[in-house]
Amino acid sequence: MLRYIVNRLLQAVIAIFGVLTIVFVVMHLSGDPTLLLVPQDASAEVIANLRRQLGFDRPIGVQYLDYLGDLLRLDFGTSVVQRVPVSQIVAARVPYTIELAAGALAVALGLGIPIGVVMATRRGGWIERGLTAVVVTGQSVPTFLSGILLIAIFGVLLRWLPTSGTGSISALVMPSIALGSVSMATFARMTRIAILDELGKDYVRAATARGMRMDQTILRHVLRNASIPLITITALEIGNLLAGAVIIETVFAWPGIGLLAIQSIQARDFLVVQMIVLLISVVYVLTSVLADLIYGFVDPRIRLMR
Amino acid sequence: MRPRLSVRLLASTLLAAVLAAGPALAQTKELLTIDLPGDPATLDPHLQWNTDSYSVYRNIFDNLVTRNAEGEIVPQIATGWTQDDDTTLTFTIRDDVAFHDGTSLTAEDVAYSINRIIDPDLNSPQLSQFNQIERAEAIDPTTVRITTKSPYPALLAQLVKLSIVPKAYVEAVGDEEFNLKPMGSGPYKLTAWRKGVETELEAFADYWGGQPPFERVLFRAVPDVSTRIADLKTGQADLIRDVPPDQASSVDGASGVKLLSVPTERVGYLYINAQAGPTEDVRVRQAIAYALDRQTLIDALLEGYASPVNILGAPPIFGYTDQIEGYPYDPDKARALLQEAGAEGATLEFLTSPSYNQAMVQAIQQMLQDVGLDVSISSSDQATFLKRRQGDPENAGSLAIGAWSCACQDADGIIFPLFRTGSIWAKYSNPAFDEAVDAARSTLDEAKRKAEYETAYQILREDVPGLGLYQVYALYGASERLQWQPTANESMFVMDMSWSE
Repeated sequence: MLRYIVNRLLQAVIAIFGVLTIVFVVMHLSGDPTLLLVPQDASAEVIANLRRQLGFDRPIGVQYLDYLGDLLRLDFGTSVVQRVPVSQIVAARVPYTIELAAGALAVALGLGIPIGVVMATRRGGWIERGLTAVVVTGQSVPTFLSGILLIAIFGVLLRWLPTSGTGSISALVMPSIALGSVSMATFARMTRIAILDELGKDYVRAATARGMRMDQTILRHVLRNASIPLITITALEIGNLLAGAVIIETVFAWPGIGLLAIQSIQARDFLVVQMIVLLISVVYVLTSVLADLIYGFVDPRIRLMR
Repeated sequence: MRPRLSVRLLASTLLAAVLAAGPALAQTKELLTIDLPGDPATLDPHLQWNTDSYSVYRNIFDNLVTRNAEGEIVPQIATGWTQDDDTTLTFTIRDDVAFHDGTSLTAEDVAYSINRIIDPDLNSPQLSQFNQIERAEAIDPTTVRITTKSPYPALLAQLVKLSIVPKAYVEAVGDEEFNLKPMGSGPYKLTAWRKGVETELEAFADYWGGQPPFERVLFRAVPDVSTRIADLKTGQADLIRDVPPDQASSVDGASGVKLLSVPTERVGYLYINAQAGPTEDVRVRQAIAYALDRQTLIDALLEGYASPVNILGAPPIFGYTDQIEGYPYDPDKARALLQEAGAEGATLEFLTSPSYNQAMVQAIQQMLQDVGLDVSISSSDQATFLKRRQGDPENAGSLAIGAWSCACQDADGIIFPLFRTGSIWAKYSNPAFDEAVDAARSTLDEAKRKAEYETAYQILREDVPGLGLYQVYALYGASERLQWQPTANESMFVMDMSWSE
């Protein structure tokens, strides 16, 4: 088991290194921030001076080695746009994204799994058809549209919820629903499939033969067995939520790392972009390693096998 | 079973959320909330030059001079100035100005502020606007002398944007700390800067210019324009910036809010490459000028929130002239010119980036295709766009649109960087034009400067290395209760705002 984890982590380090290299090269090849920093009437000489002072006139290889060297010392550098250490800029935004991702995950799991269970157990009825409509809607409406629709209905028309901003639970409701609805649909579908899969198995028939009620069978046995694929999905969905946060944070002016990433890419604030990419890759990798570990707890067969 | 429970849970969550949202909406109006598209990148006024930083920090700091409602340069910290000779200007300054920490503002601080922004070690992105200044010295506590490298007529116009910082404080805390906790002598002092979220200012009770109109001001970063408009309509914001013309009607018709619009010094223009490709032929460039129906562009795409111009400059700038004849919309003449130049069906590359109005780009493409040119649009991100547009002429495309403002209201800040030989933007070179703009920038004689700019604009009219399209209007959404007259230089001084009774 330990060896397996070490292997996974080694792979992860290589993957993250690759991601960082690609981002570094792509960002640096397409122009540096100097032109965006100066006013329109700046002369070529002023621009060249500023570029030299900021270090962007050096060969890209040198800049890259420099960057890796700093990274090894856990020095993430100072933003040329904000003139503040990058670690500070990113750290200030992380709590907001965690809050939003947690809210969205709560929506996704809290609605998705019950909906999936009902769809699997009440097949063919109008309930299933109604829920299918909910799932298809959640899955197919793009988040930027659902975000704006929610603002128009609950913010402007009904005035129940604040249209943007942070700092209260009410401000979290709409962004969480907008961001979580796509994942909700995924969870509902996966839960339905997993449960239908399990329902056909012998132990369910045995339980029914013993006289167990269907809802008890589902709660005690089926859900647990059906949860393995759901754990994988959860790990993947956390990654998707981070990606979706980029759009939702912009719509709701939610000051997380998604919004920061967009602004930093536009401003060519390389070091900030690179740190966000690093952070997201680490989260991706850690959640998938964590998912593997959790399988072990849920399913003793996997634990014993390794 | 389960679903009923979850439905009930959802309903109660929503109800709780609704109840929690209630009190947040009822706020005292001692607070002014302004939604900006972004968070200030820096608040050290000598660093970043972007509208979001600018909107906030100009309320924290004062300047030597400012512009009044009519756009004239008037004293602010300065009480007056005399031109000693062509390169020396002496200012006397007020003796009753205090910084937020109670220390008084002296000539030392003014000289320090000027010398700081031109110090190469600060790496100020604004350097190019002040690098004609050689040095500034404090003669006595209320007198400052500024020396320029050569006679520099735009000096006062540039000084409108130079914030005065406290020397002792900046030196004591260092540049990095000063950027995080800026302190000036302006009507508002910074109380909190929650990065990426909002910046909070509080009225400075001892402000020399009188009691500021609001107890607190909150600048929030709201990047999505639909969200800014929703904030305004629900009363969560009192003022929003950057309302695009196609959304103006949704603000204008709504109850409790109003649309504020003002003609600015910013000019929308079309760049035409005069040094490479099919547009190297002046007839092709003139044909393009005849092919564009500016009034239609303004009416259809900008909802009328712009006025056509005949030159590449708008009325609020020094050097503006109405003596130049514009190109009328005449597609037949355009076709004839193209035929004469043998350029029918020539392929033009139209550079653009998402920062520009894409509908405008496509409409211009359509108008040019109607007279027989083949226009292909190349869209890239802003940094790449600038790299190409400012790079070597062969690779700088044939066309691009832009909206130019130097925030200095002077033709020197517009046509000099755009068209003077050797400038990074210029894909054009004409010694007669260079002579005119050089002469206009090195004399203090206003009549002579005006005449030189008229000559320069006449040359541009014939050569068409670029075409002024329209004067841009700045659009804001405001609460009906807010009194404010926005200005041509797109500044946002809270001191000029108030609640109507």
